[in-house]
Amino acid sequence: MADFIQLFINGLALGSVYALAAIGFVIVYSATGVVNFAAGQFVMFGTFAGVAMLANAGLPWPVGYAAALLAMAAFGALFFIVVYLPLRTSPVVTVIIGTVAVGIVMQNAALLGFGSWPFRLVSPLEGITIDIGGAAISAHAAMVVVVTGLLVGLIWLLFYRTALGIGMRAVAQDVEAARLMGLNVNRLLALSWMLAAVLAGIAGLLLGPMWFADVNMGDPIALKAFAATIIGGFGSLPGAIAGGLFVGLTELLGASYLSSAYKDLIAFAVMILFLLVRPQGVFGERIQDRG
Amino acid sequence: MRRYHSLLAAVAILALGGLLSLVLADYRLRLLNVSVISAIAVIGFNFAFGLAGLISLGHAAFVGLGAYTLAILSTAFGWSPWLAIPVAILVTTLFAGLIGYPLLRLRGHYLALATLGLNVSFTIVVTNWISLTGGTNGISGIPELRLGAFAFNDERRFLWLGLVLLALCAAFAVTLQRSRYGRAMMAVRDDETAARMTGIDVTRVKITALCLSAAFAALSGTLFATHVRFVAPEDFNYAHSIIYLAMLIVGGEGAVAGAVIGAALLTFLPEWLRFLGDAYLAFFGLMLLAILIFLPTGLVGLAAQLRRLGGHREAETTS
Repeated sequence: MADFIQLFINGLALGSVYALAAIGFVIVYSATGVVNFAAGQFVMFGTFAGVAMLANAGLPWPVGYAAALLAMAAFGALFFIVVYLPLRTSPVVTVIIGTVAVGIVMQNAALLGFGSWPFRLVSPLEGITIDIGGAAISAHAAMVVVVTGLLVGLIWLLFYRTALGIGMRAVAQDVEAARLMGLNVNRLLALSWMLAAVLAGIAGLLLGPMWFADVNMGDPIALKAFAATIIGGFGSLPGAIAGGLFVGLTELLGASYLSSAYKDLIAFAVMILFLLVRPQGVFGERIQDRG
Repeated sequence: MRRYHSLLAAVAILALGGLLSLVLADYRLRLLNVSVISAIAVIGFNFAFGLAGLISLGHAAFVGLGAYTLAILSTAFGWSPWLAIPVAILVTTLFAGLIGYPLLRLRGHYLALATLGLNVSFTIVVTNWISLTGGTNGISGIPELRLGAFAFNDERRFLWLGLVLLALCAAFAVTLQRSRYGRAMMAVRDDETAARMTGIDVTRVKITALCLSAAFAALSGTLFATHVRFVAPEDFNYAHSIIYLAMLIVGGEGAVAGAVIGAALLTFLPEWLRFLGDAYLAFFGLMLLAILIFLPTGLVGLAAQLRRLGGHREAETTS
């Protein structure tokens, strides 16, 4: 039982990170219609922003985290200008390949900046464990779950209780109508990209101490975030959360109870099954293109 | 003249490739072989992506399935590779048809993600099904192709074989593209509803395109296996799917010439740009992005534009 509790909490923590990555992915997709295949590299950039600010620049925790997230917000704005604006009228296929290309550039940029040797990003709660039902839970894993819960609450408040968030949802629903209502559409689109980049950054900062900070970590995260999004339902925020937790839990529980070699196959098999049987996922989106 | 296009493509490939096979040194010949093998896969990919508009990020899985089928049949079961090649193509095509039925109901990014998931799953399976595939150690000792006493065991000889197969593939692809089947695929790509209105069986056209792409991919995979005589999981991961996609986009999607040019160019480019060192992939990504934004029809499209521009000028001077 103690083993199970430990695996379960660790699975929730890993799933929380996937959920955050998936939420960023979904926010961009809903607002701009862009399927961002570079989403995993955004998370990797978040981890390395943490490495740069905490390990390399030696900033104290709060300042370092804030600086890393500011850098991510700036990166989101840059991505909006350099990648999104030139591609925004292109067909969906072009946009998909375009973001794949940008992902390759981002990964290579990280390789040039930090080298191929993995870094260790130390958690502020390093070495602390909590005892739950006889299981030793790392305080970091517990913090990841709590932070993700708080963030989900904040995102909900933003989208449903502030003028800014409601404006972003309006743009997501209908750009032309939003423009006619006098909303500054470009500013809101840029904000969506920045928000997505910051969420990916938080996911990266939280993931850093759980994995090694490796410039190749983006692709595995992206694949899990995609699986989470499909399973939960494309374009749905509750779906991204449920899907992320499901993928994280199956990964850790599947590895110890079924097969560690095929642990990743479970998530992808479930994803493909959903695509074939229920492409709109658990929480569904009401958009064509599903078949 | 138009009806000889397929012949022209084949002759051009044989003439240019044959000439290069006589003048290039061994290492360049190896790269040329890699180009030829990739070109066959990319011509196949053009059926699915360029003609029928199916965005697949899993083409390398088909190449891998062909390569692994040949590798297993020719080592564990001691088959002649000549016999294993058609069987590998058949197995891969059947697999594509089987998954195509449910998969091709998806469009756009759903299809992209599903095929990406398929490629990742393929890599996981061949990495872990050790008793059959040797896991990460791969399968070595794949026999060479030979005709009687003549073995295709050095780069020059293999290139001759590869060129003949590539020429046949290109001629077939050009013929098919200009036939009503090719036009049906393009109609499905451009507007599915309109295509259905004209009486085209959209599902069948899409599955045919996917099966053709898988058959060419499998042929490419079997050639890869008999050229390198070793297969391992990382030769067929989704990064290679992205490279096939990039080859077609750089060369010009929808054109057989584009597929061949793109495959050759992206095989030689890392050599020419060796001075970039670790930064090659950044260059590769930026180049791909620039082509998508500024040159959506690829190099073949650029050549056509230049020709049109030249034509106009001539017309102006004569008038």
